[in-house]
Amino acid sequence: MGLLKIIRKIKRKEKEMRILMVGLDNSGKTTIVLKINGEDTSVISPTLGFNIKTLAYQKYTLNIWDVGGQKTIRSYWRNYFEQTDGLVWVVDSSDLRRLDDCKMELDNLLKEERLSGSSLLILANKQDIKGALSPTEIAKVLNLEAMDKSRHWMIVGCSAYTGEGLLEGFDWLVQDIASRIYMLD
Amino acid sequence: MDDEMDKETISDDKQAEAEAALQKKHLSMLERLSKRQQTRSINIEPSTESTSSFLSRFTQLKSSIESRLSESQSISSDPSQLKPHFDKISESISDLEKFVAQSSYFLPSYDVRSSLKTVSDLKRSLENLSSELIPKKKFSFKNKVSKKDSDSVIPESKQPIVPVRDSVQSSESFAARDSPGFRNKFGEVLVGEFSETEVGEFTVSDLDSCEVRIIGCVRALFVHRLKDCRVYVGPVTGSVLIDEVEGCVFAMASHQIRIHRARRSDFYLKVRSRPIVEDCSGMRFAPYCLSYRGIEEDLSCAGLDAETGNWANVDDFRWLRAVQSPNWSILPENERVGTVDISNADSRMEEI
Ligand SMILES: Nc1nc2c(ncn2[C@@H]2O[C@H](COP(=O)(O)OP(=O)(O)OP(=O)(O)O)[C@@H](O)[C@H]2O)c(=O)[nH]1
Ligand SMILES: [Mg+2]
Repeated sequence: MGLLKIIRKIKRKEKEMRILMVGLDNSGKTTIVLKINGEDTSVISPTLGFNIKTLAYQKYTLNIWDVGGQKTIRSYWRNYFEQTDGLVWVVDSSDLRRLDDCKMELDNLLKEERLSGSSLLILANKQDIKGALSPTEIAKVLNLEAMDKSRHWMIVGCSAYTGEGLLEGFDWLVQDIASRIYMLD
Repeated sequence: MDDEMDKETISDDKQAEAEAALQKKHLSMLERLSKRQQTRSINIEPSTESTSSFLSRFTQLKSSIESRLSESQSISSDPSQLKPHFDKISESISDLEKFVAQSSYFLPSYDVRSSLKTVSDLKRSLENLSSELIPKKKFSFKNKVSKKDSDSVIPESKQPIVPVRDSVQSSESFAARDSPGFRNKFGEVLVGEFSETEVGEFTVSDLDSCEVRIIGCVRALFVHRLKDCRVYVGPVTGSVLIDEVEGCVFAMASHQIRIHRARRSDFYLKVRSRPIVEDCSGMRFAPYCLSYRGIEEDLSCAGLDAETGNWANVDDFRWLRAVQSPNWSILPENERVGTVDISNADSRMEEI
């Protein structure tokens, strides 16, 4: 598709990456983005629409779209799919009851053709909570092994409270995107 | 929040124009939405023009679908025609649904809701007709699938039929694992004390006519399926997630409170961010009213000592408009309970 090529070209020049953060409500998306950006995380309201953060990460500029996950507004997710380089799926690892919902929404998302080329980072968040499932357990529940072979994906346990795991996850994501898009540099 | 996106520098070659147009469209959508986010409940009145043109188009599509549905009976004389007939209708319903989704940015939420209701009614009629007119055994999977995905966006007939998961680990096996909580009780007083050591997540689920008292701090609280209960909890340093409750009274302090599918319930809250409700009705809100020995320390440890007044700033995801949501109200002062003291675990349930 011609348009995509142009977009890639412009992006390459600016070393820009577009990252879409989604996941069920309450999984910790907004907290994660603020934490990465070194902002205060003590008062965060559930996201009514979405937030965008532009931040410098290594030599790249990340445009992070943090979209609200409340049920009512999940149908809007599709409005943000275009041009997504990296997809971050955030899981509340302590919310055992809604893991089925979580799996179903992720499966639906991965069927989306417009997202088929994007790298997928799964953040098993809230690891600081006693009783949270480990990343391995989350991977099992979400049946990640069964994912399409062409998809680049990775699961990392993290905590938006302590910050643990966040950089590991984003490092992988940014490297993976870079190796696909900026291969030539 | 300072949501903004740097405008891209656009190179001057021709192709970039397409990109620019795209960008512009995107930016304006963005602006519209972030305005909504910033102003929160302040309503940006959509132009009535676009709303009414949406409605007339919607009505037109709707009646076309209805008339095709009504033709089904006569077509049923030729069974080979029925399947394609239903498939086409199903496609139109799906298009109609997309149309609603696309228009949802400018439509008042009432119209979005009622349109989506119409869509799901149409789906149901289609489903009923097709199970009525198409021989049963061929489509025996139908009921099973449709039940699970009743509010899925994809019309039933397009759902791929997936075999039952085999290697997949069900989340139920994890839910059964021993996470701290009170579950499956009737008519009991349930007391949890977490002094000093902070527990992780705590679950309160499937209770009928119980009183729950949680003294001390927890990180995350999950409340699910309660009927006619009273739930008193000390500070929650993360979030409280409430789903499917009816006829209950809650007193809770937390950083975030998210309430789903609650009916006829009162909430006495202290909360740092704005509480949100979704698919709720008959809810009333008042300030936190709980007391036990040491609650002041616990609250300040949890960063919840300051009164933010947010107990009254409820956002209803089903009603994002300036007009007060019909689903919740402020509990009149003369109907509020006084301070509830839960220090003494033996004390009887007091009448409210
Ligand atoms: N203990 C713990 N709590 C967390 C962590 N990350 C987020 N939280 C809490 O989880 C709740 C939800 O966090 P948000 O960042 O608002 O969640 P979200 O995914 O943006 O939710 P939506 O905007 O509704 O989609 C908040 O109360 C956070 O404080 C974590 O790593 N550990
Ligand atoms: Mg958020």
